[in-house]
Amino acid sequence: MKLFAKLRSWLKWIVKRGRLETAMEAELRFHVESIAENLVRSGVPPQEAMRRARLEFGGIESHKDAIRASLGLRLRDELSMDLRYGVRRLAKSPSFTAIALLSLALGIGGNTAIFTLINQVMLRNLPVRNPEQLVAFGDSEFGGIAGGIDLGAFGGYFPWDFTRSMQEYPGPFQGIAAYCSFSNKVSIRPPAAGGTTDASSSAVLAPANLVSGNYFSVLGAQPLLGRTILPSDDATPGSGAVTVLSYHFWQQSLSSDPNILGKSVTINGTPFIVVGVMPQGFLGIKQELEPTELWTPISMQTVVLQQPSMLTAHSGLYFLHLFGRLSARAASNHAERARSQNWLNQQVRNGIREREGGALSADRQLEINLVNVPLVTAAHGISLIRSQYGESLKILMIVVGLVLLISCANLANFLLARAATRNREIATRLALGSSRARIVRQSLIETLLLSMTGGVMGLGIAFAATRVLIGVVSQGNSFIAMDPAPDATVTLFTLGLSLLTGILFGLAPALAAARTGAVSNLSAGTRTAQSSGGKSARFWPKTLVTAQVMLSLLLLVGSGLFLRTLRNLQNQDYGFERSHLLLAEFNAKLAGYKTSQTTGLHQLLIERLSALPGVRFVALSATPPISAGTWSSSVTIPGYTPAPKENRHSVLNRVSGRYFETAGISIVAGRSFSDTDSANSQKVAIINQTLASHFFPNGDAVGRSIIIDIDSVKGPWQIVGVARDTKSGNPRDVERVGMTYIPLAQIDPYVPADSAADAAGGANTVVHQENQDRFASMILLRTTGDPAHTIADLRAAVRSVDPNLPLVRITTIQDQMSNFMTHDKLISSLTSLFSVLALLLAAIGLYGVMSCNVVRRTNEIGIRIALGAQTLAVLWMILSESLLLLAVGVGLGIPLTLLAMRYIKDLLFGLSGLDPMTFTVALVVVSTMTLFAAWLPAHRASRVDPMAALRCD
Amino acid sequence: MGKQIDLLQGTLDMLILKAVSLSPLHGYGVLLRIQQISGEQLQIQQGSLYPALYRLEHQGLIASEWGESDNKRKAKFYRLTAAGRRQLHSETEKWNRMTSLIASILRTTPEEV
Repeated sequence: MKLFAKLRSWLKWIVKRGRLETAMEAELRFHVESIAENLVRSGVPPQEAMRRARLEFGGIESHKDAIRASLGLRLRDELSMDLRYGVRRLAKSPSFTAIALLSLALGIGGNTAIFTLINQVMLRNLPVRNPEQLVAFGDSEFGGIAGGIDLGAFGGYFPWDFTRSMQEYPGPFQGIAAYCSFSNKVSIRPPAAGGTTDASSSAVLAPANLVSGNYFSVLGAQPLLGRTILPSDDATPGSGAVTVLSYHFWQQSLSSDPNILGKSVTINGTPFIVVGVMPQGFLGIKQELEPTELWTPISMQTVVLQQPSMLTAHSGLYFLHLFGRLSARAASNHAERARSQNWLNQQVRNGIREREGGALSADRQLEINLVNVPLVTAAHGISLIRSQYGESLKILMIVVGLVLLISCANLANFLLARAATRNREIATRLALGSSRARIVRQSLIETLLLSMTGGVMGLGIAFAATRVLIGVVSQGNSFIAMDPAPDATVTLFTLGLSLLTGILFGLAPALAAARTGAVSNLSAGTRTAQSSGGKSARFWPKTLVTAQVMLSLLLLVGSGLFLRTLRNLQNQDYGFERSHLLLAEFNAKLAGYKTSQTTGLHQLLIERLSALPGVRFVALSATPPISAGTWSSSVTIPGYTPAPKENRHSVLNRVSGRYFETAGISIVAGRSFSDTDSANSQKVAIINQTLASHFFPNGDAVGRSIIIDIDSVKGPWQIVGVARDTKSGNPRDVERVGMTYIPLAQIDPYVPADSAADAAGGANTVVHQENQDRFASMILLRTTGDPAHTIADLRAAVRSVDPNLPLVRITTIQDQMSNFMTHDKLISSLTSLFSVLALLLAAIGLYGVMSCNVVRRTNEIGIRIALGAQTLAVLWMILSESLLLLAVGVGLGIPLTLLAMRYIKDLLFGLSGLDPMTFTVALVVVSTMTLFAAWLPAHRASRVDPMAALRCD
Repeated sequence: MGKQIDLLQGTLDMLILKAVSLSPLHGYGVLLRIQQISGEQLQIQQGSLYPALYRLEHQGLIASEWGESDNKRKAKFYRLTAAGRRQLHSETEKWNRMTSLIASILRTTPEEV
């Protein structure tokens, strides 16, 4: 009740302020007049009565003030006065305001931009029920199909039969669900207007993910339309042709058709019924750079993956990831969580024992007992982007934080200087009875006004900057799961940051202002009083400048190290020619080609493309010379007895005749592939130096044979040549990897009947299984000129071979390689940008402090010159002061930098965090900056005219 | 004037409520009424009267309207609201309990301990 009355009363006072003030005045006046009338009645003359009444009652204004204070109106009045005063003061010095706002907007904007990314990549929870209960089983960031590994090994891979039993008996978990470890692109034909699928409508490629029937229920995700995939859909392999669409796909490819439910879309040639559409924020538990667009039951694996069935007991193919929902207790209780962890490990160990069967050696028993599949918290989902960019983003956040600190230091210095010029005003205020708290408050309001305006501008800058950053991270993908628009969290962050910034740079000047002595400043001559502030008055500006030098050094060294890392990555020896090479990805399987037709298609492609102008060599291969995903296997050399646990791993590639000429990989022994290596001739292979020196240390590799432990390309292959080592994967890998190349033309079109029967588990034996490893998926063109100029010709030539053959992606080798270095480029270019900004700010700060000092000391310098000081001596006096600041800044900065660089050493390549050259360059740059910034004020000081300086007070 | 006593801290609000509970009064009237009832013994600080009146109105315990004073002039009259009446009642009770308690403590003789 009371609160309500108060609110009403305040509202009244704010809205009808003018009328109420008049009424208050009238009421008080009536009171005084009543006293006077009483006095008159008792015989006092009217004029005298009025005087005595006023004396008795006191000043009307002070009564009014007391009333306003009792209503809490005074604070509001004063704040609005301070605010207006602040605006006026800022408007009076537009250049200061502009510089302050610009540096604040840049500082806060940079922080907001990086935070937007951090928020989206690292902080945001999955849009599902109780996301904190979700855990992934093992590291699930990578995807693929593995064979011959233990359950849950190398990134949490599991085979189908194991995941089925886990789904059925989830033990202490609320539920356990499985999904395919990767989303693969499928060809989709949307339904035609009539509701039937239309063969003439154009197909789109979109990533699809296979999920278990309980995937959505364990995840706790509700559909926007229709239903999710249910356990009944996933019950029997080969049935359950239903699909759930992402919001984005529904919107973009089906124009948000409200009647989509029940219609069928064609996925890789098979009709699937659309049963549901997920809400906008839902992208699945695994967030890939290119988000999953549709989900289908694992039971439809053969259609979606276009691979022989993996849904058999003991298929030996590990392609699924698992995740579970912890019980509510286990999510918050460590002991309970440990029990769930133990249960999971027990299941995995039992699974491994069952798989290996028979009697196990004691050593193996021991090994199995140590198997541990960690529960990985998945409240934010699973994201490779997060683990790839997380570290860089954290470092960038620190960098932008430091830049903001530097600009805060600058503003604090500016404000301190301004506060010094306000000494008289403040002294006057104090003398007139203003409280010190009021002065601090006024000063803080002014800085908060600045920082808040800067913050709002920063939001705008952040929006633009985030768009650019996302463009870099997305690597050219058109739709990725990141959005530059600030959400509530980001807006709150920016608001809080602006507030903090304002307090940070406003507090010191405000306190300095309040310390001003009332008497001394009014009485003494202004300039002498100011310069007599002495050491304590100059302490803060100098400390701030020292801190700026320190932080600039830190940022410069950091950006220098990142730049050199990028150069080292780019300039290392890759083993192949890195120019004039064009890569095009194509997919003959999606265009409907059978494995028996590939030889003809490949030949035709090579013929047409070789005829293009400006093309020197043409080759086809499964993977380009460098790529993230590789085809690999262990290899066996007849007549070579491997040591137990010996690494017989080799990266594989299947290539056409002139691959080595096209890619620019030199052959160091034996010969290259030629057109005579056909299906009918001796099967031949080329291995790289690493593999050759591993298995044939005596250099007798050529002429020996090699067997690949994958049935479809088993061999044996006769080694006819040794190729130079190349970097085929991450440019940061320094370990040498063995490679085996085999000719595309010599891969059998069908997998031999016996091994296919093995893979299919006996029941549904297929005599001739198509050999998917016969397809090439890369076209390589070595050009004479700029490869980008050949793109149009390439498209036309491929179209002339088959208009339905989709070219998925065309890149030059440089672009392909720079994709590996996106995050090195991002971090090195951004840290350089920010460190230059920081350096500039520090220079401005130093210049400001030094020129302020010179102005303060004009008197003193004048006297010195009048007494015979030399120009050089004065110059040196000012310069030496800056040099001292530099020395202190560097002296503190170097240990700080050394300490900080230990945290980024994992991100460096080819140099240590203590790289002397980087440190030297950074020191030279910081010193030059200091001298440059100090030179102008010093020069001005040496030109002081002694007469003018002494007279001006 | 020497025998006048200053108001105890926090009692002014209660006295104002009591004064306007008898009949609506303007500010000066409240002052006179309290002095009159106390037999000119209570001295109210002039500076604290109006802030207290405005605060009580702000809290909804008293309400005001403009009317005509005895000398035919426009004056602002305060009257007690329902909430004010309840407040006065509870304050009075609290006060009485307090004074009788303190009085009994002060009356205590050594024999009673």
